[in-house]
Amino acid sequence: MNAPDLRNIVAGFDNEAFGSQAVFRAALDALSHPGRPLDMPLNTALPRQGHCAAAALLLGLLDADTPLWLSPLLADSDAAGWLRFHTGCPIVADPAAAQFLWVAQGDEMPALSSLSLGSDACPDQSATCVLEVNSLQADIAGWRLQGPGIAGERHLRVKRLPQDFVAQWHANHAGFPRGVDVFLCTATQIAGLPRTTRILPAQES
Amino acid sequence: MFHAFDNAGPNRQISRPEWMALLARAPQDLLDGALAAHVDMPPLWLRKPETGLMMVQGRAGGTGERFNLGEITVTRCALRLAADTPVGVAWVLGRSHRQAQMAAVADALLQDPAQRERLETQLLMPVRQHLQDLKAQRHARAQTTKVDFLTVAREAGGDDEGDEA
Repeated sequence: MNAPDLRNIVAGFDNEAFGSQAVFRAALDALSHPGRPLDMPLNTALPRQGHCAAAALLLGLLDADTPLWLSPLLADSDAAGWLRFHTGCPIVADPAAAQFLWVAQGDEMPALSSLSLGSDACPDQSATCVLEVNSLQADIAGWRLQGPGIAGERHLRVKRLPQDFVAQWHANHAGFPRGVDVFLCTATQIAGLPRTTRILPAQES
Repeated sequence: MFHAFDNAGPNRQISRPEWMALLARAPQDLLDGALAAHVDMPPLWLRKPETGLMMVQGRAGGTGERFNLGEITVTRCALRLAADTPVGVAWVLGRSHRQAQMAAVADALLQDPAQRERLETQLLMPVRQHLQDLKAQRHARAQTTKVDFLTVAREAGGDDEGDEA
């Protein structure tokens, strides 16, 4: 077993119990109100690389049973050792083998269809993808979201997503009950996109 | 060449795994005595002391199949004494958070070559001595129960001499 290099590692939650509970609450809120940007409680020391909200989210969710895949920018950074030290999560090189994925801004997102989608009997075993984006705004010029957890429609404008994200998302949504769930993270906010949510283009006006 | 962790040897540089093994066995009073300056100083925690269970495995005769011997309580922690200094790590038997903390403080200090010599004489040597004393005591206690089978055999042999002939 390779011990992580501790030289650049910083501390975790200020208070393990309250910190991880606050993160878990935020993650639940984000998935039960898809597309609503939520402030992430950041009661933790953070690595230099990666968006703070994404780092805190993963610090709260990971444990020794959840293989993690990191995009190249993160895999070589202090963020990898930090998560490994504090959560004990195994870090895998193959995106398809991971239960959680953290894609840094500027790195290419692995195709959603190539990730672990779960099975019809156990759709809960699918991957959760944490995507870093520039900004999240509840803006009428953005997507129109529909689905469970949304009364009518919700607007969400996301900056800096892969070009074909919406097309990939349609395929992901069509595979229900199988499919991945996505968290969009800025430096301070998160928004959940569970596989049940439909993305419609902005309304022509 | 094989060196036991509690055997200093002449002019041999001690390695980190060796001093961590020593610190894990160091009694609280020796640690507190040698690290008096750090006893009341709150460190920067990387991982606060936490107690958990570990499974100890053994091998029959040292070479046979593995088997689970039983569980032990272990306390571990990781800390820094100041920002951007080496991380001190300790895993010690038992539930004493204090002992784990002081062992980690000693580990952090030992990684600083300037401190190593002082700690070598003030902490590591006494700990080695303490472990050797413990070993000698155990050995002496075991010696009192020793039975000299040779003597018994000879006496028995003497009694049975007539039967064999």
